[in-house]
Amino acid sequence: MDFDVSVKLAIYHVIANTGKAPSIAQVAARLNSSVAIIREAIQRLYTKRLLVLEPDTFEIRMAPPFSAVPTSFAVAAAGKSYFANCVWDAYGIAAALHLDVGVSTSCGCCGEPMTLAVREGAPVQTPGLAHFAVPAAHWWDDINYT
Amino acid sequence: MLLFRSEEHVERWCQTHNVPRRPLVLLDQLWQLAVAWYANRLTEESRRPGPDEMEQIFARLGLHDSFWQVRR
Repeated sequence: MDFDVSVKLAIYHVIANTGKAPSIAQVAARLNSSVAIIREAIQRLYTKRLLVLEPDTFEIRMAPPFSAVPTSFAVAAAGKSYFANCVWDAYGIAAALHLDVGVSTSCGCCGEPMTLAVREGAPVQTPGLAHFAVPAAHWWDDINYT
Repeated sequence: MLLFRSEEHVERWCQTHNVPRRPLVLLDQLWQLAVAWYANRLTEESRRPGPDEMEQIFARLGLHDSFWQVRR
């Protein structure tokens, strides 16, 4: 298997099983590699837009659809808790895990609590709309704000 | 992107934040986007869709506006 794929899968395995992103050091230990080599691989994965890194530490901020930091999109699946990067990624966690999920979030305008759910591979019908503030061609100008 | 209770709440948020009102995405469409992007994300073969593939996905879901063009 390509080394970068091994790194990516190691990251996703940890975050899918624990809800928390591993540190670069943890990935290195898991793959019996060095922090320097893992850091290079993670940079390549970032270039491919498969990861988003913290600007100062270069630790993992997003392994889409998962967020390594708390967000306003809390996802529960099979007794585990996750954070999604946005409402698209909240559904994305259900799609990636192939599990039923419940999403606790709120209206972007008024803050009223809202819930979403996916059951047996389909979204439970509920009122709500998604709005992207930024056109698709510019999403990666600042992936924290779309 | 954010979730809103209704179109009225989207309008209000756009006015408050001085953001242009963009095309709205129904939750069924959003679920299909999530499946297209992430269904195989935890597998060895997974990759992010390329630009052509992205635009095909958007078009298939009825998202035809220039807002969904991936290339600048």
